[in-house]
Amino acid sequence: MPRFVDRRKFLFEAGGGLSGLGLATLLAQDNLLGAESGVTPAGCATGGVVTSSPFAPKPPHFAPRAKRVISLFMSGGVSQMDTYDPKPALTKFAGEPLPVTGDLIVRQGHPGPLMPSPFTFKQYGQGGLPISELFPRIAENHADRLAVIRSVKGRSNDHVMASYELASGTVRMGWPSVGSWVAYGLGSDNQNLPAFVVIYDARGGPFGGPSNWSAGYMPAAYQGTIFRSKGNPIFDLRPPEGVSDDAMRSRLGLLDKLNAMDLEKNPANSELAARISAYELAFRMQSCAPEAVDVDREPEATKKLYGIDNPITAPFGRQCLIARRLAERGVRYVQLYHGGIGNQNTDTWDAHGNVKENHTAHAAETDTPIAGLLTDLKERGLLDDTLVLWHSEFGRMPISQRGLGRDHNPGAMSIWMAGAKIHGGQAIGASDDFGYKASQQVVTVHDLHATILHLLGMDHTKLTFAFQGRKMRLTDVYGEVIPQIAKA
Amino acid sequence: MLVRLAAKSAVAALAGALLLEAQETGAGVSFVKDIKPILETRCLKCHGDTMQAAKLDLRTREAAFRGSDKGPVIVAHKPEESSLFKKISGAEKPLMPMDGKLPEAQIAAIRAWIEQGAAWSAPLDGGNAASAKQNLAALEKWTVPAGARDQWAFRKPVKTTPPATGDAAWDRHPIDAFVRRTQLDRKLTPAPLASPAMLVRRAYLDLTGLPPTPAEARAFLDDKSPNAWEKLIDRLLDSPHYGERWGRHWLDVARYADSNGYEHDFDRPNAWRYRDYVIQAFNKDTPYNTFLEEQLAGDEMEQVTHERLIATGFLRNYAKVGFREKDNPQFRVDYLDDMIATLGRGVLGLTVQCARCHNHKFDPIGQQDYYKLQASLYGYVEVDHPLTSDAEAKAYHAKVDAVNARIKPVQAEMRALEEPYCAKLLDAKYRKWPQNIQDAVFTPEEKRTAGQVLLANQIIRTTSVTPAEIEKSLAPADLAQWKALQARIKEIENDRPKPIPVAMGITDGDYRYVPDGAGDEPAPGKGPRRETLEPGSFLADGKAPYAVPPSYFLHHGDMGSPGSVMKPGFVAVVDDGDCATEIRPAHQRTSGRRLALARWLTSRNHPLTSRVIVNRAWRHHFGRGIVMTLDNFGKVGEPPTHPELLDWLAVDFMDQGWSFKKLHKLIMTSRVYRLSSQFAASENLSTDADNQYLWRYRAQRLEAEAVRDSVLAVSGSLDRKMHGPAIFPQLPAEVLESMDKGIWRKFEDGPAVWRRSVYVYRKRGLPLPFFEVFDLPDQNVATGTRLTSTVPTQALTLLNNEWILTQARRLADRVAIEAPGGAGEQVDLVYWLVFSRSPSAGEKRVAQEFLAKNTLNDFTHVLLNLSEFIYLR
Repeated sequence: MPRFVDRRKFLFEAGGGLSGLGLATLLAQDNLLGAESGVTPAGCATGGVVTSSPFAPKPPHFAPRAKRVISLFMSGGVSQMDTYDPKPALTKFAGEPLPVTGDLIVRQGHPGPLMPSPFTFKQYGQGGLPISELFPRIAENHADRLAVIRSVKGRSNDHVMASYELASGTVRMGWPSVGSWVAYGLGSDNQNLPAFVVIYDARGGPFGGPSNWSAGYMPAAYQGTIFRSKGNPIFDLRPPEGVSDDAMRSRLGLLDKLNAMDLEKNPANSELAARISAYELAFRMQSCAPEAVDVDREPEATKKLYGIDNPITAPFGRQCLIARRLAERGVRYVQLYHGGIGNQNTDTWDAHGNVKENHTAHAAETDTPIAGLLTDLKERGLLDDTLVLWHSEFGRMPISQRGLGRDHNPGAMSIWMAGAKIHGGQAIGASDDFGYKASQQVVTVHDLHATILHLLGMDHTKLTFAFQGRKMRLTDVYGEVIPQIAKA
Repeated sequence: MLVRLAAKSAVAALAGALLLEAQETGAGVSFVKDIKPILETRCLKCHGDTMQAAKLDLRTREAAFRGSDKGPVIVAHKPEESSLFKKISGAEKPLMPMDGKLPEAQIAAIRAWIEQGAAWSAPLDGGNAASAKQNLAALEKWTVPAGARDQWAFRKPVKTTPPATGDAAWDRHPIDAFVRRTQLDRKLTPAPLASPAMLVRRAYLDLTGLPPTPAEARAFLDDKSPNAWEKLIDRLLDSPHYGERWGRHWLDVARYADSNGYEHDFDRPNAWRYRDYVIQAFNKDTPYNTFLEEQLAGDEMEQVTHERLIATGFLRNYAKVGFREKDNPQFRVDYLDDMIATLGRGVLGLTVQCARCHNHKFDPIGQQDYYKLQASLYGYVEVDHPLTSDAEAKAYHAKVDAVNARIKPVQAEMRALEEPYCAKLLDAKYRKWPQNIQDAVFTPEEKRTAGQVLLANQIIRTTSVTPAEIEKSLAPADLAQWKALQARIKEIENDRPKPIPVAMGITDGDYRYVPDGAGDEPAPGKGPRRETLEPGSFLADGKAPYAVPPSYFLHHGDMGSPGSVMKPGFVAVVDDGDCATEIRPAHQRTSGRRLALARWLTSRNHPLTSRVIVNRAWRHHFGRGIVMTLDNFGKVGEPPTHPELLDWLAVDFMDQGWSFKKLHKLIMTSRVYRLSSQFAASENLSTDADNQYLWRYRAQRLEAEAVRDSVLAVSGSLDRKMHGPAIFPQLPAEVLESMDKGIWRKFEDGPAVWRRSVYVYRKRGLPLPFFEVFDLPDQNVATGTRLTSTVPTQALTLLNNEWILTQARRLADRVAIEAPGGAGEQVDLVYWLVFSRSPSAGEKRVAQEFLAKNTLNDFTHVLLNLSEFIYLR
């Protein structure tokens, strides 16, 4: 890594560019402009390799356990006591105050008394992992695949800052997200698709918006690309109505000719060649990206597996199925968000008002899709080298908010990891008797990030980017790999 | 978690289990004899009186068992699970103590002690507090290491005589002499001069960010006078578009945006005035030293003008949480950190902010330098400066007060009328809750259980009734009176004066008494918070000298570990001690610390300020700085490729009165600026492939804003109206959905938004996608060099984006009208508009062949996609 990164370091270069076909040859190929549905255009599976593109595949530091990540972000703050971290003490001491000294920091209003979970827990699988009744399908089918970490601790009880921390390791704006780091560190196996894809809830973006997938101080190319789960997945992928394919085809033909003439006049100018390559890639993306999100191609049984046949589960089911299709096609980091801030009280997990109603609704929207995703990945042999990560921006309070709801609590949250040959059916770390604070094997967000990079074959202390005169890291000067996850 | 309740509570017993377990005492290792001395001598320095690193406090048993910010560190009987043991034995990083591993015998003793149950039978000896304080005092007494000032960037720049190259074409101009000399030393062959057609385009794009119109380009090409180039430069420097272009460069450094950022991304309705100030300052050629002084201390200068008050917005450009900040004093230190980082990287070219928690790892910058700078800025408070005469402002506030005073009794009357109805409405609301909550609410206060107190408090304090609910419930007679009172208020409100224009700036004051701002309002039922003691008292009245609230040296950057009170000051390694640290203004309302800071930065003896800004200008002209790391002149920055030239320019810049316009002209009249970019010599490529030594002009992709502006200019759509509130280009609904906080006003895609990009609303939470595709940097930190990437999404945007297609069509329509004589004439005009030149014979043939089968619109769209259009060559 050079000490300072100048523009020239991020250019596609001449020679070896794509397959060296040139736009003219691509234009001659069928199906590239107006890809018929049901047909996979040639070359979409991997695409050509551009050795010096920002997304050229780069070797990891050591043999990776996972080649890709699918991250499932439940926006709004999932309650740990009501999902993966049962707390019988809440029942025993229901209605009593939480015994703390000093300030009990709540986000809204005033602290209430301890509130038992309205949900029942059962142990599942050979590992006997306790899971609440909210996630019956995940519990029955995948309990032995989940490594639940019950002692994750965040730094902020503000949705946005906490979301930024999960995304980038810091609560401040302007830092690269973990997806950007992974795209930067490993590149992509498919040059026809972005390396880092974000699909957010159809009801709206998550708290904090696009800064969650920003590349921060890295080149903008590493930021997450938003895929829409319907229609053309990428903005400006296709010309608007009124521009015919024929017109586009002849425009590209002229562009190709004039580019060639321009190249002659400008010797030893790698940027020009780079732009020509970029047009070729864009051209391929026009057909490969719609193909990648076209879930209608999937058999009915698969759609059912993800709950696409049911209006409640269909939206997140589509997101999950697209995630699998992208993972299959070599996209490195797929970030899904469930929960949109269009109406944060009802459309996210932010259960201030009534945790029973809120979590019942959102668990119902996600249980089948997530269970389906894990099943599908397993059946396709993808689960062993895909890390699936489920988390939120913080946990919730063991005390009630106005008797029925729960307020924000960054002191303890439960998250899980699956796939990548992680030992499932285990609970790692612990929160205190009430779930107020992580108490055993406290895991910070830096630790989580270090672990994600570790599974991808990267040493978090060695993946650096020079900025402000420092070799910046995703984990700053912190981060410890979680040993139980690292254990093969 | 510690126990508060008496032992009768089962909760207490449960939570206290850990403590009880640890209480047994064991034989073998003695706490007093074996363990206590180790803790006292080796641990308390960082986990005792003066500081508690990682929030771990080992002074008392209670605190030690509470643990660190990562949880408990001692698990009785289980050394392998105790991070205290793991950290001293090396099983867990970082190894403790920081200053060296304990002897094996001591490690074994601690292990045995934990195995026995970690009894803690005596308090630790406080005798170490004194020595711990001494250690910390040493941190505060850092001095510049010997020899540190010898680093090139910390020595005063010297204007040496330009070297001779033996070639009259190069010896004519000092810049050329320096540059050619380094080329000769490296046997590099310079490119020939660029054609006049390329030069005129280069000059326009570089100085104004817009391509020349065909008439403007021809005027230069037809001017055969020997000083045609100089005249062109003068003309462009006089153009108001110059400020829009170069002001934008500075706005990158100033991390300017129109919104707060973070969750709410509140609008900053007056931020644009600072943007306009910057544009005007460049157009007026405000000397850089004055420019800095206005932005740092416009309110402290001898002549305070509205413009200077607006300029202080520079320090207020930080991203801001804007939500209950008084409950989070940490935020203010973060904003100060942002100011220090911006001044450091942006003005000094030093990463001073690295010294917030420790002495700088690479550069001779002490942590105390950081806190001296913090003290220099510490008086700041956010304030909206009125942009009227004092008399008008006073009259305005008097009118507002009068209106409020008239409304107050009417409101009281209304409240009295409402009260019985409110009580009934509230009661009905309470009765809708589940029984346990109703029980809590309706149980008399003194009879509530501890839990019911909490529950009742939550419900009662967060239940309210709306005016609409009251209106519905009022009895007819009361309703009539209520409506009359409401009408009365409305009538009084008519007298409320229109808000006066204000500037978003800063001045000195007392941040502890600042009144609520946007987002500071507590949420419904939010509990006790720090209140403003006396509204208005946060600003000094000038009757007594203003005093800055105390700021402290923060050990580890932690607000919980304050050291000494800090005096204002500067970065020692570049401070020769000649500058005052406070220059008290006559009005006595501010400390004069910021003015002193500005004077120090712009002192002629300062080795960095002029070098850093001259290098920035050079970067924008040539695509690469003489020091490539614009924001870092320290040890890990790149060394200058032309050190003597940089120094010569830095000194000359000051000699010429810190004038940007003179600097531009000096640079642009050099031969090296006029070299062709279309040149390659294989020897050059093998010895200097990066063109560090400027043997050809470096082609540069235009910045996002210049790409958009160029498109608007050639299509004939550009409205050149300057200044004023921001414009909001259309965004697809899906993009808006991704960020629904703050504002994005609805504008049609039409002339109202076809203005220059510098006027586009900068929303921190939602950068304009078109800009982002073309590498808009993050808007939250000072940015010197914009990185450029070449990626498929740029191609997709230029090919398919609706706005681009609209502009391509407008370009075609324009050409059809302006060149009615057929394809040949039209091709010529398109080339002149888009590339400022005639097409070559080959290009014209290809174009005409194309137009025989395709439309003019097809043709114009293709030309907007060519590299020649979006590159400065």
